[in-house]
Amino acid sequence: MTTTKDVPLRVENLEVHYHTRKGPVKAVDGVSFELQKGERLGLVGESGSGKSTIALSLMVAHKEPAKIEGGKIFLNGTDMLTLNDNEVRRKRLSEIAMVPQGALNSLNPVMRVKDQMIDGLKAHGVSKSQDEFADFIAELLTRVGLDVAVAEMYPHELSGGMKQRVTIALSISMNPSVIIADEPTSALDVVVQRQIVQTLREAQDRIGAATILIGHDMGLMAQFATRIGIMYAGRLVEIGPTKEIFNNPKHPYTQMLISSLPNTRGKRRLSGIPGITPSLLNPPPGCVFHTRCPQATERCMIEIPKLVAEENGHSWACHLYTEAKSEEEVTA
Amino acid sequence: MSTASPQIAPSDSITEDEQIGVFSAILVMIGRNKTLVAGFSLILLIGLFSLFGTLLIDPERTEVGAGKPAQSPSSEHLLGTDQQGRDVFADLAYGTPASLIIGLIAGVIGVGIGTALGFLAGYYRGYWDTFISLTTDVFLTIPALLVLVVIASMTTVLSIEAMGLLIGFFAWMGPARTIRSQVLSLRDRSYVDVAKFNGVRDIEIIWRELVPTLMPYIAASFVGTVAAAILASIGLSALGLGPQNEPSLGLTIYWSVTYGALIREMWWWFGPPIVVIVMLFIGLFLMTAGLDQVSNPRLRTSV
Repeated sequence: MTTTKDVPLRVENLEVHYHTRKGPVKAVDGVSFELQKGERLGLVGESGSGKSTIALSLMVAHKEPAKIEGGKIFLNGTDMLTLNDNEVRRKRLSEIAMVPQGALNSLNPVMRVKDQMIDGLKAHGVSKSQDEFADFIAELLTRVGLDVAVAEMYPHELSGGMKQRVTIALSISMNPSVIIADEPTSALDVVVQRQIVQTLREAQDRIGAATILIGHDMGLMAQFATRIGIMYAGRLVEIGPTKEIFNNPKHPYTQMLISSLPNTRGKRRLSGIPGITPSLLNPPPGCVFHTRCPQATERCMIEIPKLVAEENGHSWACHLYTEAKSEEEVTA
Repeated sequence: MSTASPQIAPSDSITEDEQIGVFSAILVMIGRNKTLVAGFSLILLIGLFSLFGTLLIDPERTEVGAGKPAQSPSSEHLLGTDQQGRDVFADLAYGTPASLIIGLIAGVIGVGIGTALGFLAGYYRGYWDTFISLTTDVFLTIPALLVLVVIASMTTVLSIEAMGLLIGFFAWMGPARTIRSQVLSLRDRSYVDVAKFNGVRDIEIIWRELVPTLMPYIAASFVGTVAAAILASIGLSALGLGPQNEPSLGLTIYWSVTYGALIREMWWWFGPPIVVIVMLFIGLFLMTAGLDQVSNPRLRTSV
């Protein structure tokens, strides 16, 4: 096993189910990936494709009725799922931090910014004098492009972008090796979105933390990520370097996703992806995408395609590219 | 460094004199709340009356035979004397704090137990919640006054403090229920999630994130519990089931009823305790209403 300390995060075959009255909903179905030090991974997918569920599971902060049914989450070589509550609690913020969704509600309205930031540190046994804390927080706030005076303010005195900057400052306060940003820009306007992602990138780069950015804005992903993973119906269908994903998408879903984006190089009709995501209560047999895939074959309806690593660190899970090989095998 | 990203400065930076301390901010908010101020002043007035009354008036005047019996108000006995020669004004001065103390003890116990259980049930959910909610519901169906009457009639000597304790143990259900429901909605706020993501302990989340938000709520339910406790204690005393050896508002009413003060038109005997009780309840009611406005901004008449 290569679960060395050099790999900040390594997810193996993660399975997360939501237990409903109608049966288990497979929100995350066998997802595996690895993050190198300082790497920025963009996780893209439609609503309900399991992105946020992955984020919460990585923090082991998933709530009922979600349950991690299988898989391993190695954080700096330790499997998070074998730790007890208190050990997990100590890993949070210090090793794996979260920039939450919905910046507007993520701060306690009745506490000053500095007190909220100190709370997290104190929970990890960091003891400093009042002055040292003040200096430390000032340093963190400047790092995310905020004025030092923000420390003394209450959340209602801040704009949405400023609040999200505070949450970024919070997340880097203990130099974690992994940062998970779950749609950190969802409630912000487009201009601020770019700035926030830029801030996150600088903050992350400085401490060398591996970062997962979750979202569905492909433009934002292109700006931020070095690698992009495409999620569909709880499965990772394609993952590879950002350039590869944009220039050479392999999975039909990725291809359709890319062709639905406007392009500055020449005019063309934008196409959408017809249909909706399948119910995860009864996912279609075989490839989950076959119901919407224009190139689906009979095999796609029966056999689940595996995520196979190909050239340039690019992996995808689609039968279209393995068909020839298997036919050869059949004839041979 | 973050030099590349634009510096987002706060729209108007805070200067020293703009910074208001938390306490003065609270004072300003309370000062704007006329209902709360009115209620608080009324209670303060009654409190001062009992304080100076007990300090200035000789306690012997509350004893049987302190003056001539059944005297109408005069310069010597401001509110006259009762059938057994007790000074009614002195009775009032010593009886009012007794009622207040019963209310405070019961309020602290009731809200203390109720808040603790409410947080336990609302925050931890699961078996805790099922058990606590069930127990609360069962206790809610028990008519507290009936039980108090039975207990009070069984004990021969009941002190003021014991009375407070007794009432307090039947006053926690309401606070437990209301606090639980508030915690249920608060625990799922995203800032509570964020605190969890940051590895903050549950107890710290409750103490630092939830309790401050619920403080006005807890205060309002405290005042409400105090009022209910005072009502219960006066009710018991008026039935002759309260402490008999110490003056209290209820006991004065009990004696006046027993000796037919109403028929004998001894208004100075039965009237004053009723006036004090009415003032007490108006004051407490105004305070609850005022605190409601603090915790529920929609009820505020001015900002």
